[in-house]
Amino acid sequence: MRGFRAEGNAAIAVLDDEERLVVARIVADVALLLGADAFGEDFGSPSEVTPEIDDPFEYLRGLEESIREPSDPAILRLLPNAAPTDREVADEFRRLTDAELRGTKVRRLRRMWDQLSGGSHGADSDEWVVPADEALATAAALTDVRLVLASRLGLVTDDDAERLHAEIDLATHALETDDDGALPVDHERVWLGMLYQALTWLQETLVEYVSGASEETDV
Amino acid sequence: MDTERQVESEGSVATRLDDVWVTIVWNDPVNLMSYVTHVFQSYFGLSREDATARMREVHEHGRSVVSTGPRERMEVDVQAMHGFGLWATLQRSGE
Repeated sequence: MRGFRAEGNAAIAVLDDEERLVVARIVADVALLLGADAFGEDFGSPSEVTPEIDDPFEYLRGLEESIREPSDPAILRLLPNAAPTDREVADEFRRLTDAELRGTKVRRLRRMWDQLSGGSHGADSDEWVVPADEALATAAALTDVRLVLASRLGLVTDDDAERLHAEIDLATHALETDDDGALPVDHERVWLGMLYQALTWLQETLVEYVSGASEETDV
Repeated sequence: MDTERQVESEGSVATRLDDVWVTIVWNDPVNLMSYVTHVFQSYFGLSREDATARMREVHEHGRSVVSTGPRERMEVDVQAMHGFGLWATLQRSGE
């Protein structure tokens, strides 16, 4: 895996087939959580037409009803309570913005999924190409994916995040030294944690690219 | 956008009359400092320096008031922040 670098009018990262598959899968999963239809079933052959995403009316369903706060903490983190101390303000905000926010997030995830699945360039390349004008939207979509992973990993405070890193270091060390019998390793947690770390690192390099690009045009 | 108005501190706003609301961004363990800074820069039109100061306030004090104005305007800002994955809320100024 190589982080994003500026190449031409794009940011390009390098991920092998398996890495791209894993990231594309979690991207599609997050979109599902937000109520989108499943992204293409076969990796490498995304369905070209996704009317459910392009059709704004899809997200207008239930506009008149009050929209309940999501019970899944991961979705609640993507669509947080906008006024925890004022129910009326919170409900009103959710009623007005829920559909549009879901639509925006799903569209960005879909674009990221297309980038990872090769899109029109074919899926042969190891390159993850993010055009300059999509870089911030892609960074935002990466945030949404990381928010869901963090919620599943129980990361609530900065200390939780630190502990996760320490935990992964320990587990990696135990596995490397073939000593994993000595301490209990929660393999699923470690795997999710490592995915979270990898996405964090990729986002860091993408944001660096975005910030650099805006500095240049700031003159 | 009038950035002067946007970045006024909560304290000075609290002394105003009328129905003034604020947008607050809260700290979380997920959002990268560089990303939050860039979002503040690009959305609120802040300089790199001011955006970094806001971000530090969020990170070190747990929250920062990032904009001030009528409720409808704050709803737009909160929605934008949620769009970027930042944890933002709105409330009446001084509450």
